[in-house]
Formats: sequence, C-alpha cells, structure tokens
Amino acid sequence: MIRFVPIADPPRGRVIWVTLAALVFALVVAGLIFLAAGTNPFEAYSAMLQGTVSDWSGWSEVLRRGTPLLLIGIGLTLAFRAQFFNIGAEGQLLLGAIAAGGIALFTPLPPLVMLPAMFVGGALAGGLWALIAAFLKTRLRVNEILTTLMLNYVATYLLIYLINGPWKGKNVRGFIYSDDFPDFAQLPTLPGTQVGWPTLLLGVLLAVGLQWFLGRSTGGYELRVAGENPEAARYAGISVSSVLFKMAMVTGGAAGLAGVGEVAGIHHKLLEPSQISSGYGFTAVIVAWLARGNPLLCLITAPLMGIILAGGDVLKINLNLPFRITDVFSGVILMSLIASEIFVKNRVKWGK
Amino acid sequence: MDELLNALLRALAFGTPLLLASLGAVINERAGVVNLGVEGMMALGALAGFAVAYGDGSPGSGSIALGIVAAMAAGGLAALLHAFITITLRANQFVSGLSLTLLGLGVAGLLGKKYEGFPLFGQPNQWPFTIGAIVLALLLAFWLTSTRAGLTLRSVGENPAAADVLGLNVNLIRYGAVAFGGALAGLAGAYLSLVYRPSWTDGMTAGLGWIAVALVIFVGWNPLRAIFGSVFFGLLYYLQFRLQGKTFIPTEFFAAMPYLLVIVVLAFAGLRGQQGAAPEALGRPYTRGER
Amino acid sequence: MSKITKLLALALALTAAATTQAGAQDAKLKACFIYVGPTGDIGWSYAHDQGRKAAEKALPWLETQYVESVPEGQALPVIDRLAKNGCQVIFTTSFGYMDDTLAAAKKYPNIIFAHNAGFKRNANMATYMADFYQVYYLNGLAAGALSKSGKVGFVGTYPIPELKRHLSAFALGVKAANPKASVNVKWINSWFDPAKTREASEALLSEGADVLTSAEDSATGVQTAGAKNIPTFSHYNPMLKFSPSNVVSGHIVHWDKIYIDFLTKVHNGTYTTKNLANVDYWWLLSKGAVEMGADMNMPFTVKFAAQLKAAKMMVGGKSVSVYDRITALNAQMKKGESFDPFTGPVKDRNGVLRVPAGKTMSIGDLNNMSWVAPGVVGQVADEPKK
Repeated sequence: MIRFVPIADPPRGRVIWVTLAALVFALVVAGLIFLAAGTNPFEAYSAMLQGTVSDWSGWSEVLRRGTPLLLIGIGLTLAFRAQFFNIGAEGQLLLGAIAAGGIALFTPLPPLVMLPAMFVGGALAGGLWALIAAFLKTRLRVNEILTTLMLNYVATYLLIYLINGPWKGKNVRGFIYSDDFPDFAQLPTLPGTQVGWPTLLLGVLLAVGLQWFLGRSTGGYELRVAGENPEAARYAGISVSSVLFKMAMVTGGAAGLAGVGEVAGIHHKLLEPSQISSGYGFTAVIVAWLARGNPLLCLITAPLMGIILAGGDVLKINLNLPFRITDVFSGVILMSLIASEIFVKNRVKWGK
Repeated sequence: MDELLNALLRALAFGTPLLLASLGAVINERAGVVNLGVEGMMALGALAGFAVAYGDGSPGSGSIALGIVAAMAAGGLAALLHAFITITLRANQFVSGLSLTLLGLGVAGLLGKKYEGFPLFGQPNQWPFTIGAIVLALLLAFWLTSTRAGLTLRSVGENPAAADVLGLNVNLIRYGAVAFGGALAGLAGAYLSLVYRPSWTDGMTAGLGWIAVALVIFVGWNPLRAIFGSVFFGLLYYLQFRLQGKTFIPTEFFAAMPYLLVIVVLAFAGLRGQQGAAPEALGRPYTRGER
Repeated sequence: MSKITKLLALALALTAAATTQAGAQDAKLKACFIYVGPTGDIGWSYAHDQGRKAAEKALPWLETQYVESVPEGQALPVIDRLAKNGCQVIFTTSFGYMDDTLAAAKKYPNIIFAHNAGFKRNANMATYMADFYQVYYLNGLAAGALSKSGKVGFVGTYPIPELKRHLSAFALGVKAANPKASVNVKWINSWFDPAKTREASEALLSEGADVLTSAEDSATGVQTAGAKNIPTFSHYNPMLKFSPSNVVSGHIVHWDKIYIDFLTKVHNGTYTTKNLANVDYWWLLSKGAVEMGADMNMPFTVKFAAQLKAAKMMVGGKSVSVYDRITALNAQMKKGESFDPFTGPVKDRNGVLRVPAGKTMSIGDLNNMSWVAPGVVGQVADEPKK
C-alpha cells in the first residue's frame, strides 16, 4: 500500500523538481508511444524543440496558441476559486467572436474606436453567456457544468445560423462565411506572425491586474467563501450572487476577449465554429489548474501548453505522424503533471 | 400513430448509449467521483469493441460477445487510470477527466487507423442493448435505494468520513464505482460501433460522451430518471430532423433545441425545487482525518 | 604539390562531380498536401489522400508529404513549415484555405500553389475542382426510377452552392425519370457526424423516402439504407462494401487525374511560378476526374442494373429504359459531348427561369448557385425569392 505523509513545511524548490520529474516521466512514456508508432523518440523531441522554441517562427506558433489559452485560463482561475466549474469557455469564446463580427461588419464606427469596441463587445457577450449559467445556479440551483456545457452547443448553432443566414457574406460564393472584416477591424500582428499583439498584451495586463486584485482586496477572499461555503458567506454579509455574477462576467468576458482575438487577429471573418476554436475552452481548464488558481502563473502555463500544441503540429508536419499524436502527447503530459501534484506536499511511504 | 411509434423507437435507439454511459456515471458520481472522461472512454470502447468483433475481416475471425467484453474492459481500464490519479493520488477530478478525454480520443484514433473504412456484418440486434440498459437502470435504482451495498456506495459519496468510521474501505469502493462507470461508457461505445453504425471511424462518438455527462446532472443522479432523461434527449435529437422544413424556423434552431430544452427543463425543476441534489462529497478526494 | 595530392584532388573533384550528377538525377519534385480533415474519414480528405498516393505511384520522380486535420485558420503556419521542408508544389484542399494560400503564394514566389474549390489565383497559384453535378443527375435518374413512393431522401451537409448544385442536378434526374417524384432534403449542418446522418436519414424514411443518398463524410447513410433494405448510392468514395445489396451506383472522385496532370506539367516545365494566373481545373466526367459507380469501374450493381433495364422513361416522346438512358448520357458526357443536366430552360422551384432555353450554366454560375431545382422539398437556406 502506498501512503502519503504530509510534509510539514515543504521546501519551495520541491515543486520545481517534482514538476520536472513528472515531465521527464511523461516524456519517457510518450517516447515509448513514439517508438511504438515507428518514430525515434529523440528525433521526435529534437524536432519538437527546434520547431517551437529554437527560433522566432517557432515561438510565434507557441504564442498564437498560447494567447487564447492565456486569456481563457486567467478567467477560469477565478471560476475555480469560486468553485464554479465553467466548462463552457468554448461557447463564451464563440459569443465573443460573434459580437466582434457583428460590430466589425455592421456598425458604422470610425476606425479608431472599432477595435476597442470589438473587444468591449466581445467581453460583454462572453460574460453575459457565462452569466446565464451563474444566474441559473444562484437563483434556480441549476448545476453550472450542465448549463455551460449545453450552452456550448447553443453558441455553435447560433454562429452557424448567422453565417448561414443573415450574416452570410456577399463575396464568399455562398459558402458559410461572413464577409471579411474591414482593414481597421483587423488586429495588428507581431511582424511575420499571426499573433495579434493587442490580444497578447490584454492577456498579460489581465493576468497582472487580476493577481493584484486577488492579493490586495477582499475580492479573492469573498470569491473563495462564496464558492466553498455560501451559507458562511451570507453570514459574513457577502452577497453570494453578486460575487458570482461578477466572477461570471470576468471568466466569460476573458473567453470572449480570446474569441475577439481569434477572429480579428487570425481569420478576419466569421466562420464555422470548429474552425475558430479547436478546443481552447477545454484545454484552458488545464492551463488554469496548472496555474493553481493564480492568474499570474497562467503567463507560464499558457505558453507551456502552447509549446505542447505547437510541438504536436511539428510531429504532424515534419515526422508525418497522425494528427491524434498531439492528443496522446498532451494527454500523457497532463495526466503526469496532474498526478504529480500530491508529491509536492507529501512524502511517499510504502507499507501500512 | 405510426409516426409517434417511430419517433419513440428512434428515441430509444439513440438514447441507449446515452443511458448506458450516464448510468455508469451516475454510479461513480454517487460514490463521490466525477469523471469527465466519458467521451474518451466511449471512443476506446467503440474501437476495442469493433476491433475484436471485426477480427481480421474474414467471417468467424471476430466475436461480437468478446468485442463487448473488450469494450467494457477498455473503458474500465481507462477509468482505473482516472481512479488511480484522483483517488490514490488525490488529484483534481475535473482536470484528470478532461485529460482522460484527450488521451482516450487520441489513443483510439491512433490505434484505430487500420480499422477505418470497414463495415461490420452480422451486427447484433439493438434490443438486447436497449432492454438491457433499461433493466439495468431499474436494477441500479433498486440497488441504490434498497440494498445494503447501495447504501454503502451512497454513504461513501455523501459522507466518506462517517463511512470510514463504520469500517468501510472508502477508496476501494470508489475504485469499483469508477471502474463500473468506465465499463458502461465502453459498452456505450461498443453499441455505437457494433449496432448503431456499425463500423469504426475516428471521432465517431462526436460529443455523445459529453451529453451523457450532462444527463447525469439532468436526471439528478437518479437511475430511474436516467431512462426518461436519455429517451427525452434521444427524442429531441431525432425530432430536430423530423421537424426540419415543416416551418419557417431555421434548421439551426431545431439543432440547438435539445440542448436548450435540457437547460429549460432543469430550470423549471429548479423553480419547483424538484432537482436531485449532487452527492455531498462529489469531486472531493477522501483522506482520513480531513473533513 | 605532390603527384599524389594532385591525383587525390582530381579523384575528389571527380567524385564530387559524379555525386552532383547523380544528385540532379535523383532530385525529385516534392509536392505537399494540406488536408482539412483526417485521412481516415472515408470522405473528402481521404479521397484527396488516395489521389496523392496514386500520383506518387504513377510518377517515379515525385515525392509527397501530407498534413492532416489542419484547421482553416492554421494553413499559413503549416505552409511556412512545409516551405522550410523543401516543398516545391503545395496543394491546399479546402475552400477555407483560400486567403491563406494566396498570402502564402505572395510570400513564397518560388513555390507553386494549387488551391482546391476556390476562385482566387496568382502567377504561382492555380485552382482546381472535380465536380459531381453530372454524376448526380445520372444517379437521380436511377433514384427516380427505383422509388415506388415517389420520395427520394437526400441528407445534406451545409446548404452551400456545391450542395445546391448537386441536389438540384439530382432532383432534375429524379424528375426526368419519374415526373411525379420529389427529393426531400434534411441538413445536418456538419461535414462529418455519423449520429446526425443516421437520425436525419431516419427522419427522411419516416416521411416516406424509399431511396436514400447522403453527402456526409462517412458511410453512415449507405449503412442506414442497408439496415432498412432500400436503394442507396456511394458518396465520394466507393462504399459498396458497406452495403453490398443496396448500393445502386454512386459518385466517386478521382483527384489523382488532376494531380498527375498538374504535376506532370510542373515537372516538364509547362507550369511555372509565373504562368498560373489563369490555370483553373474544372474537371468533370470527360476528364475522368469523377466517375459514376457503386465501386471503381462498376457503374451499376447487377441487381439494380436489371431493375433499371426494366424501368422505362420518356425521352423526346419515345420510351427508353432508364438503364439505357443513363448509360448513353454517361458515355456522352464522358466524351465531352453536348449533354448537360442544366441545359435550359431550367426554372427554380419557385418558378423563376434560371437558365434560358438552349443555354447552359457557366462555371461561375454553377459556383454561385443559390437556387434549387423543382422537385426539391424541404428547407433550403439562402434561397433567392426572385
């Protein structure tokens, strides 16, 4: 039998070497999988490193994936602190994209205010989409896992309806796309990349700002109490629903911002939902968890996940491995990191 | 009348995998463990079931019965990984389940490449699965409420500390419940690849595992209600196509209808205070001496 | 310099020259393919990959690489990596890659690009498409003749011009063989979703359809028809094996015809990075890029060939067997002769004249088609009123 004995005062460095050990373990397991797929693991890893972190074009890919993950992840750290299991970031992202598209295509805003308006609109739309779940949870006790999950599908069909109907582009030969956004509704990107720097900047600012907010104000405390023990919160004079509503606006709003970034920075139009987000909303849950609920730490965990995703691309392209190798690779690494958490604060003891 | 009967038949055909998977998840959640990896386990079950039933493609080289066993084993094994990580290593159940989804879909996709593009002939009849699922729901409902073992399972999910004091092995019971949930998710996958399609394609579960996760909440962790929940969803899923084109309402509205109605129904249940409550200790690992 | 060193130097120079020579002979043309879906989907991307494999087999000087499941917004970074890997020709196989392909063509003026299903071109970027509308008409004739209820079911993916074109050609065929029949359509709003295809098929059957065709990227439609024992058609790839006693015929694509032609012309210098601005492949039956058949080289399955021989239809006042009609038209269109399913006068289902008498539709018209032909029953998004 394995037993875990808590370490009274775990040294600070322990988290680092435990995490490293978990990564090494995952790389060995994944390496065996590569071997089984007929690929030399060392070749695979060196290709992944070369294609992600060794030059600017590799980093640009990491950042392109990391930016939406960062924004959504930051928002989700708040949701987790409040025990609000938001697995609907995917839908909130789509709502952000829809709002941005609507503003870019159909409002006569002057160029200077266009992009800011798109970000504000996207954040509001994403936030309101999450607010539905928060409202149903606090007022009617409807479980937010169910609501957020179901609302993902509703958002998907809402977007398809729009680009298949009233918002269908005039210059797309009847395909299901909107028209291209005007130039001034397209985000400036880092040179030679598809990384919209305003989105990235927003992510960094939001991470710093929220961390500060959680540390300095009573906001973080209220959030935790309202989530973990609503009764106690009410007793302490905290309005649980108002705390949760604010949290929902932030978590959904951040996902909405990510949606704005994707359509204004990369696609420049609205398109099939599965092409806008291939699971960022779900992957970001893991980003937020790896950051242990700290928005600031998302600045590390989001790029880390970006490396895993972009690295998977390299495997697919340079080594001609099937696309599912990315899922297996990220699955193994995540499982291993998640499993390692206990070793940070506990020692292992064998026997009774 | 024919039309009604036909709609009901479709609701049962489509609802069967949902019922199987959500029954499994009801059991592991009643024991206090959430497993969001249903989609991944379902994909593994679908592949394992098809691979064993198909054999090398020649008649008689595969076995349907063994395929079903393999599917349940595949789902169960995947679930045991989740159990080890969340029960023994006490990691966050939500994140572990999400990772399991990734891993399950990925492994099934990789291993399943060589089975793509082949049909299965001599597929089993749907009814043993459908009737079996309904009977299982009835049995589980009885078992949970009226037997000592069922009470034990529930106590582990409601108040593990008290169960521990009574001398129950909380973690072992949870392991069993999670494995049971995985086996049923695998069986649901086998239904898809052996009965409903019947063949294997990467991505063929197409989100049904997630629907099962939502149904568990929708039916208030109650196996009896799970029958109605999955038939209800199956009916709406079929009707989105049957009703398409009968009105000027856009097709996308009907496509969104099943998901919207699930929320609306649960909200109404909430208004009248009729929702089932989640098990008290759901999502929390158990450590002796902590509360 | 001693003699020995001289000799050595000479030997080295010779070896080097020989190696370069051999290198030049070994130098293969590298063509790379970007797919929007997985190669195992038995649909669109699978068919492209079959085409790639066939081209590689047919052309000894060709080497290929592919990348599967590339989301539309990600084509550019993938092309960047492929360019680094030395790809000389890049095929992008989805409409949604259009703008990214054009951007890449401008970024990499020394690489040849070919974009599938789009309409933007450049000096180093051609476009290509293999289209089914003729084949759908032929299958429609068979479907109309085989339907007893007069209702033929059609599972559609998204109501875009390509689907409307196919649906309309199919409906015109159905009506030609069976003037009282109609084609009921249900849309699943997805390219690949077996469960939706199954339930949409079931809905069509419960509305009385007794012949079924599906445009989704899996064999689910064919398998559903098999389970109900009604006639159906292979879609995109041969699907006979999924339901051997129910597949009548079908529409099968041969992307290799285009790939081999295009790459051969690149290899022999006909196509360069300077002269592709007007190169647009729109290949139909006459080029062999598409085929009518239940399986490769099998226009009809035996059982249904007999039924279609027995079925009669009126052509120009004379009664002919549907089998003969289909076979004759198939042969005509293969030879590139004048028959075209959309030969005017063609009205849309609201009675508006769309193709004037004696005219046919231009490629542009076909690619922008938003109306549907008479005989189509069901909701069709973005349909013009007048």
